[in-house]
Amino acid sequence: MKKKNTEKDGFFLSSFKNVFSFFFLLGRKSKKTKVFYILSFIPVIMALIVKFGQVFASRSSLTGIYVFSNFIMTFYLQFIILILALFFGTSVCSEELEGRTLPYLTTRPVSKASFILGKYAAYTLLIVAMTVVGVILCFFILNFDQLGDLSLYKILFRDTAVLVLGLVCYTSLFTFIGTFIKRSIMFGLIFSFGWENVIQYFPGSTQRFAIVHYLKSMLPSPSSGRFSFLLFRLEPTPPFLAVIILILITAAFLGLACAVFNFKEYILEE
Amino acid sequence: MKAVIMTEKLSKWYGNILGLSDVTLDIEAGITGLLGPNGAGKSTFLKLVTGQIKANIGSVRINGEEVRNNHRLFSKIGFCPESDSFYEEMTGWEFVTGLLKLHGLSSSEREKKALKALGIVDLEKNKDRRIKTYSRGMRQRLKFAQAIAHEPEILILDEPLNGLDPLGRRKLIRLIKSLRDEGKTVIVSSHVLPEIEAMTNDIILIHQGKIFAQGDIHYIRDLIDAHPHMISVKCSDPRKVASRFIKEDFILNIDFSSEKDTFVVKTNNRDEFFSRLPRIFIEENIDVKEITSPDDNLQAVFDYLIGE
Amino acid sequence: MPIKEKGYTHWEGELKKSRYPWIPITRKGIKLAFKKKFFKFTFFLTLIPAIVYLAGIYISERLEDFAFLVENSKSVSFLKINPGYFNSYFTQDFLLFMIVVVLVFCGAGLISDDLRYNSLQLYFSRPITKKDYFLGKASVIAFFLFILTLIPGIIFMLMKIIFSGNLRFISDYPWLILSVIGYSFFITGFFAFYTLFVSSVNKNRRYVSILIFGIFIFSDILYGIFKGIFESEYFSLLSIKANIKQVGAAFFGQKLPHNVPWIYSFLVLLFICALAGFVLNKKVRGVEVAQ
Repeated sequence: MKKKNTEKDGFFLSSFKNVFSFFFLLGRKSKKTKVFYILSFIPVIMALIVKFGQVFASRSSLTGIYVFSNFIMTFYLQFIILILALFFGTSVCSEELEGRTLPYLTTRPVSKASFILGKYAAYTLLIVAMTVVGVILCFFILNFDQLGDLSLYKILFRDTAVLVLGLVCYTSLFTFIGTFIKRSIMFGLIFSFGWENVIQYFPGSTQRFAIVHYLKSMLPSPSSGRFSFLLFRLEPTPPFLAVIILILITAAFLGLACAVFNFKEYILEE
Repeated sequence: MKAVIMTEKLSKWYGNILGLSDVTLDIEAGITGLLGPNGAGKSTFLKLVTGQIKANIGSVRINGEEVRNNHRLFSKIGFCPESDSFYEEMTGWEFVTGLLKLHGLSSSEREKKALKALGIVDLEKNKDRRIKTYSRGMRQRLKFAQAIAHEPEILILDEPLNGLDPLGRRKLIRLIKSLRDEGKTVIVSSHVLPEIEAMTNDIILIHQGKIFAQGDIHYIRDLIDAHPHMISVKCSDPRKVASRFIKEDFILNIDFSSEKDTFVVKTNNRDEFFSRLPRIFIEENIDVKEITSPDDNLQAVFDYLIGE
Repeated sequence: MPIKEKGYTHWEGELKKSRYPWIPITRKGIKLAFKKKFFKFTFFLTLIPAIVYLAGIYISERLEDFAFLVENSKSVSFLKINPGYFNSYFTQDFLLFMIVVVLVFCGAGLISDDLRYNSLQLYFSRPITKKDYFLGKASVIAFFLFILTLIPGIIFMLMKIIFSGNLRFISDYPWLILSVIGYSFFITGFFAFYTLFVSSVNKNRRYVSILIFGIFIFSDILYGIFKGIFESEYFSLLSIKANIKQVGAAFFGQKLPHNVPWIYSFLVLLFICALAGFVLNKKVRGVEVAQ
C-alpha cells in the first residue's frame, strides 16, 4: 500500500513538473505575457520620473524609501498584482476553454489536479518574476544615493515578500474562479476593484474578509499624512498570523479549483 | 475477438437536447467507421469515449477500465479533435514535443517520436514555423501528428480528413489503414461516406443520437430485406436478357436507361438473379460488359435506414 | 422546353439602400448584451443612484414630512435641487465605476469578437460603410449610457417640475436642459470612442475587459500618486475620472474640483477620442471590401 502511494506521489509530481514546464514555455512565448511585462514596468518609469523630478527640478522633498514604501508599493498592491493575478489566474482554465485546446490536455496521462496546479505554478512564477524585477528596479532607482544603507534592504525584502505572497494568494483565488464561473473576468474585476477597496472602510472583523487586509497587516501602518488615504482604516492582523491565513487561503482555493476541475464537465463552444 | 471499447446504455443530454441515446456497443481492434450526418451524435460519442464529458446514463470502458477521470488510460489513447484549435504561438515542433512531455517521456525519446510523427504527416520541413502560419491542411496534419506521436494502441479520430486536399486525404487514409495492420484500434468519425468506405468495412451508423446499425457494410445491406436491390447490367443485347426475367416474381422492376446497352433491375432476391444471369448470357450468346450494384454502398444503406 | 418551377417567383422590384444600415448592428449588439448572464442584474444596480436621486427630488419637495431624515444641514444642502445636484449625480464615483462595468459587459466584445471570428469581412461584404459599422457599434454603447445619463437627467427635471407644481425650476435654470444633453452626449461619445478603441486592440475579450477597466483605474491611481509626490493639481489631467469631473463641473456651472482650467481636461478627453478614432480607422481598414 505504501509502495502504491509512493508510486502515486511520484507520478503526480512528475505530471506536475511536466505540466509546469509545458506552460512555463508557452507563457514565456505568449504575446500577452510581453504586454503585461511592460505593464509591470510602469512603476519603474514612474520611479524614474519621480527621481528626475527630485534630482533635477528639486521637486518633492520626500526620501526615496518613503516614496518606494508608500506609493510604489501601494501601486503594486492595489493595482499591478491584482491585474496580473486576475488575468493569469483566470487564464489557467478559461484560456483552454476559449481556445478549445482543453481536449489536448484532458486526453493525456496527467491528472486534472496536476494540470491545474502545474499551470497555476507556471503562471504564478511568470508574474512573480515580472513583479519582483520591477520592484527591485524601482527600489534601486529611488534609493540609488542610499544603496549603502543596509537597513533599506530589509524593507525591500519585506515589501517584495508581501507582493509575492499577494500574487500567490490572488492567483489561487482567480484560478478557482476561472474553473467555476464562465464570466470570471467580470467577477474578478468587481472583486478586485470593488470589494477589496470598499471593505477597507468597514471596521472590526469585516476587513478580514479581504485578502488585501492581510497583506497590509504585514506592512507598517501609514503615518497620518498625504498617503494615509491610500490605506484607510486598518485594524491589522498580527503579521505571522496574516502569513498563515494567506497560505491557508491559497491552499483552500487551489484545492477547490482542483476539485471543481475534476468533477465539472466543460462543454466547449463549437 | 475481445472488445477493446465497450459502452453500455450510454446516453447523454445537453439540457433538453438529446445528444446520445441508449448506445450499447463493443468495438474491437481494427478500424471502425462512425458514420452519420452533422448533429447525429458522433462527436458526443467520441467525447464520452475519451472522458471529456460525463454520461447521464450508462458507462464507457476501455480495456475493462472506466474512462472518466482515469488519466492513466490516456497513455494508450490518442485523440484527434474535430475543432481547429492550437496554441498558435507555438511552433509545430514545440506543440508535438510539448504534448509528448505530458506523457513523461525523456527528452531524447520525445525528439525521436516527434520527428517520426511529423515525418509521417510530411510536416518535418515546416516544424519550426509557428502554427498560426500553417495552412488548413497543415493544421489538420499536425492534429493527427500529436495523436499518433506517443504510439498509442487506441486512436480516436474525429473527422480527421477535414480540410485536406484529395492527395492529403488519400495519404491519411493509407496511413490509418497501416495502423490497423499494426494491430491498433482506430475509431474514425465522418459524415463523408466515401471516406469511411475507403477505410473500412466495419461501420457504425448513427443518426439523431441513436445507433441504426453496426457491422460489415455488406452484411448490413443484406439485412435490409424490405428494400429491393438494384443491379445494373451492361451487355450487347440488354432487352433480350431483360425479357428472360420479365415473368419472374423476384423481379420487381426493369428500367432501360438512356444508354442503349444498359438496363437496371430491381429485385428482392439478389442471389436468385445472380444464379440465373450467367446461364442466360451463355444461352443467348450475349457479351457482358459490366455488372454493378448501384445501391450496395454506404449512402444507399444509410438512406434506407433513416428512411429517406 | 422551358422548365416551370413551382414555388419560385422572380422578383421584379428594385433593391433600395436602407437609410439607416447601422440599426441592425445596434439592435443585435443590444440583444447580445442582454443575453449575457448577470448583465441585467448589473445594469439594474447601475440604476440605483438614479432612483436614489429621484427620491431626493421627491423628498426636497416634502421636507416637512421627512424632517426625521434630514436632521442636519448637510442633508438639507444636499437636497437643494440645483445644477450642483445634477452635477453630483453625473460625476459621482459609483456611477462612473458602474458605467465602466457596463462597458465591459456590453462593449468589450463589440469589435474584438468580430476580429476573433473574422466577421469584418462579412460586414463589409454587405452594403454598409465603415462609418455605418462604427455608428452601429457605438450606438450600442450610446443606448446603455443614455439610459444612465440623458434619460435620468430629463426625468429628474420633469419630476422636479411635477413635484413642485410650477415651472420656476425652468425659469431659475433655463440652460440646465442644455447642460444635461450636452454632458450626456459628451460623456457617451467619449466612452464610445474609448471602449471601441480598446475593443479593437485585441481579439481576446477577456484581455479587452481587463484593459477597459485597468486603463480607467490606472489613470486615477497614477494621478493620486503623482499628486501626492509633486503636490500639483495639473496631474489630474492624467486621470480619466478627474477629467470627466472637471468637464462635468464646467457643464453644470459648478466649482471645478481641481485647480486646473476645465478646457485642458476637455482637450485631453478630446485627444483620447481623436487617437481612438485614428487607431480604429487603421484597424478596420485592412479587411474592408472595395465597393
